[in-house]
Amino acid sequence: MLTFIGLGLHDERSITVEGRDALRAADRAFAEFYTSRLVGADLADLEDYHETTIEVRDRAGVEQDPEPILAAAESGDAAFLTAGDTMVSTTHTDLRLRAEDRGIDTRVIHGVTAQSAASSLTGLQNYRFGKAATLPFPYAHGGDGVPDSVIETIEANRERGLHTIVYLDIKVGTGPRGPDPDHEEYMTADRAAALLADDWADVLGVVVARAGSPDAVVAADRLSALADRSFGDPLHLLVIPGDLHHVEADALAGLADAPADLLS
Amino acid sequence: MGRRKKIVQECERLMDNPEHIRNIAIAAHVDHGKTTLSDNLLAGAGMISEDTAGEQLAMDTKEDEQERGITIDAANVSMTHEYDDTNHLINLIDTPGHVDFGGDVTRAMRAVDGALVVVDAVEGAMPQTETVLRQALREGVKPTLFINKVDRLISELQEGPQEMQERLLAVISDVNELIRGMAENMDDIPEDWTVSVEDGTVGFGSALYKWGVSMPSMQRTGMDFGDIIDLERADKREELHERTPLSDVVLDMVCEHFPNPVDAQPRRVPRIWRGDPDSELAESMQLVDEDGEVVFMVTDISMDPHAGEIATGRVFSGTLEKGQELYVSGTAGKNRLQSVGLFMGSEREEVERVPAGNIASVTGLRDAIAGSTVSSVEMTPFESIEHISEPVITKSVEAKNMDDLPKLIETLQQVAKEDPTIQIEINEDTGEHLISGQGELHLEVITQRIRDNQGIPVITGEPIVVYREQPQEESREVEGQSPNRHNKFYITVEPMDQEIVDAIQLGEVSMDMPELERREALQEAGMDKDTSQNVEDIHRTNILIDDTKGIQHLNETMELVLEGLQEALDDGPLAAEPVQGALFRLHDAKLHEDTIHRGPAQVIPAVRDAVHRALIDGEVRLLEPIQDVRIDVPSEHMGAASGEIQGRRGRVDDMYQEGDLMVVEGIAPVEEMIGFSSDIRSATEGRASWNTENAGFRVLADNLQREKIMEIRERKGMKLELPQSIDYI
Repeated sequence: MLTFIGLGLHDERSITVEGRDALRAADRAFAEFYTSRLVGADLADLEDYHETTIEVRDRAGVEQDPEPILAAAESGDAAFLTAGDTMVSTTHTDLRLRAEDRGIDTRVIHGVTAQSAASSLTGLQNYRFGKAATLPFPYAHGGDGVPDSVIETIEANRERGLHTIVYLDIKVGTGPRGPDPDHEEYMTADRAAALLADDWADVLGVVVARAGSPDAVVAADRLSALADRSFGDPLHLLVIPGDLHHVEADALAGLADAPADLLS
Repeated sequence: MGRRKKIVQECERLMDNPEHIRNIAIAAHVDHGKTTLSDNLLAGAGMISEDTAGEQLAMDTKEDEQERGITIDAANVSMTHEYDDTNHLINLIDTPGHVDFGGDVTRAMRAVDGALVVVDAVEGAMPQTETVLRQALREGVKPTLFINKVDRLISELQEGPQEMQERLLAVISDVNELIRGMAENMDDIPEDWTVSVEDGTVGFGSALYKWGVSMPSMQRTGMDFGDIIDLERADKREELHERTPLSDVVLDMVCEHFPNPVDAQPRRVPRIWRGDPDSELAESMQLVDEDGEVVFMVTDISMDPHAGEIATGRVFSGTLEKGQELYVSGTAGKNRLQSVGLFMGSEREEVERVPAGNIASVTGLRDAIAGSTVSSVEMTPFESIEHISEPVITKSVEAKNMDDLPKLIETLQQVAKEDPTIQIEINEDTGEHLISGQGELHLEVITQRIRDNQGIPVITGEPIVVYREQPQEESREVEGQSPNRHNKFYITVEPMDQEIVDAIQLGEVSMDMPELERREALQEAGMDKDTSQNVEDIHRTNILIDDTKGIQHLNETMELVLEGLQEALDDGPLAAEPVQGALFRLHDAKLHEDTIHRGPAQVIPAVRDAVHRALIDGEVRLLEPIQDVRIDVPSEHMGAASGEIQGRRGRVDDMYQEGDLMVVEGIAPVEEMIGFSSDIRSATEGRASWNTENAGFRVLADNLQREKIMEIRERKGMKLELPQSIDYI
């Protein structure tokens, strides 16, 4: 059995009770932190809290060499952990399909993901979001500045009056010059706002920083203004709202200090 | 004031008068006497003593050149000569004749407008004669001919006037046949560039004994061949030299028949520069306008222990002055000229300024390499200088002392900067760097210079031949998958027509040129119209065609696709040797919606995988470099000589008599030719003279493929088993 368990948003306690039980019952536990990570807990915190050993796999160790994970799942109960929800903003469906191909039973125990936090914290209604995009570091997509597809996604959503979640790049274990085990870099919301402000300086943006933690921050302002602010520790994400329902407008004013002139 | 100083001053005065400038190169087959001739000209101009000319080899300025008795680097010198009552400034470049140093010749041709081709009267036109002529004509450089060593016809071969004349005419006719063949397809070469005695574009003489004649000189001095034969036979060479000195004859020919920059640049600029022909810059280059924007083409980089790095080249427009801030093509920012000068043999003389039409040597251009375009405004760079031959031999170079490591890396990078026909590969992990060049001698000279000039003790490995990989047939469509399996690429490969490969190698087709022009050039080389419109990349001699239509996000992913392609082509699937002559088609791609899941870690391996699969399905095979071999040998040693070719997996194509010698012609693999010089010497008791020339790559025989592939893989520390799909080798 291979159980995909979402660790939730912030620390070792963000997991669901069901997830915790499944993790503790597993014979072996694997985790990856290259698609996202818990900011409020490190590996030792997780292991201590759950009284178990967790083997961290890098990208190659999941995508190119999943054999140890599959073998463990074949002969016993294996858990595969990621931050957030295991199947959101990842490509782990591939791992699940490989397991199914080998006749291994699989199941998914959900975690809370940034996607729902973005909606919950900002008051922007989940019905009104369009396609999401990730804003990569300029060095990580083979071009300069913001990739066209990100611009196109935001543009298309705005035309239809929809909000866009912009996930921000995380580089762990890979730097500008290829694999580098010590590399750890997070795109911050102010940097992202600065990149997007080239096209949309006066457009409204909403920063969500450290969702799920006790000191989560939500701030709405012009992208050019957000670019000059600082939002503290990672992880951050950015929402570019589309047309606003009156309750959404009230929420951004009341919960995120949005300037009144941007909400009309 | 010293004589030299006076000449410098005279040169400075003449620099402003483009009508009276001649920029020329002397080029020839190895040992036909270029450098001795250059020395004569220098002596004639008063630059070196008359007595030592010929022995001094002033143009062979480096110790190793004087030791080996050959020119290795192209050397520059400026001199003055009075012709038709007017003083002329002659900027001369002496070029190496040995085939390993062909890159220097090609680069020298860019700087000059005329090439004095020297041919040995006894040996006649040889393979390198053909090569230097081709190099000259391709750059739009006008040839004239000097037939050297005529004294040997008289004294050694005891030929009379009749025989001699026949022999000389035969040489001229051979050279003209070469010129005609090459000029055929060059519409921009206006007049007939064949040479003739009547026109005065042919000179004869002896560089060793410093005499020479031409039709105009015979008319002027009244000396005919009969007089010459008499004097030469009577051993009155001194008198011969005094009555008809070589330098006057040759320098007169240079002034009369070579175009000055004002005549040459309007014709040459369109040939070597693809910028807007109607722009101000184009006009200023064609007019050789010294008040225009600065345009300087660097053809040579050398190191001077005092001045540092010196860039030598041709000023096509504007005036070079100390302190100018100039752009260097292919790099960001500007370089500041520290000094401006002229080369006078081994020494450089600083001057105030060098205007358009001249050859200048400057310092301060730290970003320039041989081939850079340097200018005061940003501009389309000159066409890259064509290097006809690619490196075929590699040697590993390691510093003996760990402390020398940084200095060695710096030196190697410098070497590659100075000589673009050298390729280096720095490996900081193992410290074992690779240096690739045109031949054994080429690498030997380079490594010796690192040892002697830089004082870095190095350990060098045995020379290793460079191989290539090429598909032999069209592949089926194959799929390459990204590690996360969310991205897929569908690719086929087919062997590319040789004509297109040639066009790429000659620089007639490149990604640097405007798209429309590239399309036309590809169609001219035989590519069909649709294909030529979809060229996405040219890497080495391989092309990627994008046959997909309207795939979302592919545009933004293409950079990564090309990276994957290039990696796959640099390290082929068989033995990680470069792939050549392959045409790839991208038929389809499936991409993840989000950039982050189709980033470099996904796309590059996916494409690399697809490219290698396609190559394997197209039965990729290992190719080895081969050489044309020509051996001139007395008939009693002919068997031994042809045996030396055949015994090296070679093939003898022709054997014929030429004069009193037999000529054996054939081809042989470069790998087997390592050590040829000592073997042929002992096989023929030292009676053979020979010439080799790189002749591209050939598929290695089937029965040697696996063995050779494994040998290379072992040397490179690769896995010693081939992918299972390679079942045809």
